[in-house]
Amino acid sequence: MSGRLRPLTLWRVALRANLLQSTWNFERQQGLGWAYALQPVLEALYGDAGTRRARLAEHTAYFNTQPTLASLALGVAARLEEERAGGAGPDEAGMARVKAALGSALAALGDRLFWFSLRPFAAALGVLVALAHPEAPWGALVLWLVYAVPHLVVRFLGVGLGYAQGPAVLGGRLRRNLERAVSLLAYAGCVVLGVLVAYALVPGGEVRSFAVQSALAAGLGLGLLSAQRARPSPTQWALGLGVLVLLAAWLRQG
Amino acid sequence: MTLQLLLTLLLGGLATLDATPVAQTLLSQPLVTSTLLGLLWGDAHTALAVGVVLQILAASTTPLGSRTPEDYAAGGVVGVGLALALAHGVTLQPWRDAAQLAGVFAGMLAATSGVPLIKWQRRRNEGLSRWCERELRAGNESALGHASLAGVTMAFAVGVALCAAWLAGGIVLLRPFVEHESLRLSRAWTLAQPLWMGYGLAQLLHAFVQRRMTRLGVFGAAMIGAWLTLVMGTP
Repeated sequence: MSGRLRPLTLWRVALRANLLQSTWNFERQQGLGWAYALQPVLEALYGDAGTRRARLAEHTAYFNTQPTLASLALGVAARLEEERAGGAGPDEAGMARVKAALGSALAALGDRLFWFSLRPFAAALGVLVALAHPEAPWGALVLWLVYAVPHLVVRFLGVGLGYAQGPAVLGGRLRRNLERAVSLLAYAGCVVLGVLVAYALVPGGEVRSFAVQSALAAGLGLGLLSAQRARPSPTQWALGLGVLVLLAAWLRQG
Repeated sequence: MTLQLLLTLLLGGLATLDATPVAQTLLSQPLVTSTLLGLLWGDAHTALAVGVVLQILAASTTPLGSRTPEDYAAGGVVGVGLALALAHGVTLQPWRDAAQLAGVFAGMLAATSGVPLIKWQRRRNEGLSRWCERELRAGNESALGHASLAGVTMAFAVGVALCAAWLAGGIVLLRPFVEHESLRLSRAWTLAQPLWMGYGLAQLLHAFVQRRMTRLGVFGAAMIGAWLTLVMGTP
């Protein structure tokens, strides 16, 4: 990092990235949070209040991506703003294009990594540990640590990485590593789910009743079938199943 | 019980903050909040029974793009909090089972009812966004910080209010029902719990497998291996 921006400024950006979604709205989505996170950079680069305000207003425009990987985009934007302040770098339209391209690319990768892989993996592992050790809070701790540690590491170090590598941050090694992490988490998730289903059937080696095993198997089957369609949502299905069980309990006992 | 209820509401507000406006560390997930509530109410068993089911259902709900997902941050706190309040001081097992069933139902309904509230907040934030732009043009650069603070405060207040409404309504309306129909509800819980767990686990499996047979094979091998180990016992 040989530019004009000090590490402390980038750290402040990373800290503010935690509020990226605090004003999420349908019109500009993360736009306002993005401008708030980038504000320390603009304050460091533009001494002239008029130019600084114009840049701030420019950055409140529409932006949306996966919130963890947004740090990389913030670092890239800091680098480009630094170049702009030095008389080079993209103009307003160019900056908007870079943001749009980065936003889509990071969302495509980040959604798969954090929402589709790490989050369900952390949840499944946490539930498995919680069922195996119900008397201790390890399950919650495992869930939180497995997700929060990589999430916060990327959030805080991502700004520096984006700043150091510029718009090419997602090319090459980083993308390959993240793709590999997605695949690895999917396999690890399958293993954890396999153990979890077995544990639900035979908790602690004690075989559960036929009715309970059948209910678990029915839920699994129905879940796999309903997962092929987006609607009704899993919660609506679960509510419907719950109502059916209630009705059955009422009819059986009259 | 009053102090425990107040702290439950506070946790509801904090969980709502973690879910979207601040940090997103998964502190808001039902398993985490249920563990905290279990410690708070001194009933880890009830908290975990409800928290595990809600957690598995929450994990299959993703905040992709501009989609507004179910609010399991508040749902988790409402479901577990309600079950703990209904089972508070009760030793009768059917009553406790009934409280857990009521908790999971309330948690799912609260999570669903949170969707229009989140959408409402997001529309309110549009106004905040336009105000911020006007202020920036007028030279007020601190408007961005004020807007963020306003967004965070509103989300916290909505989270607390949602939890308060569901907990108050749930305790008043469901306590007599749980008390009088505990046997039926307990019977329903013994079947509903594995059914919900199986359903949620299938959603997670679908997310991991992505129609790849190798991954399905890994799942099957892990399940059979773990099942055999559990049934036969480790050597």
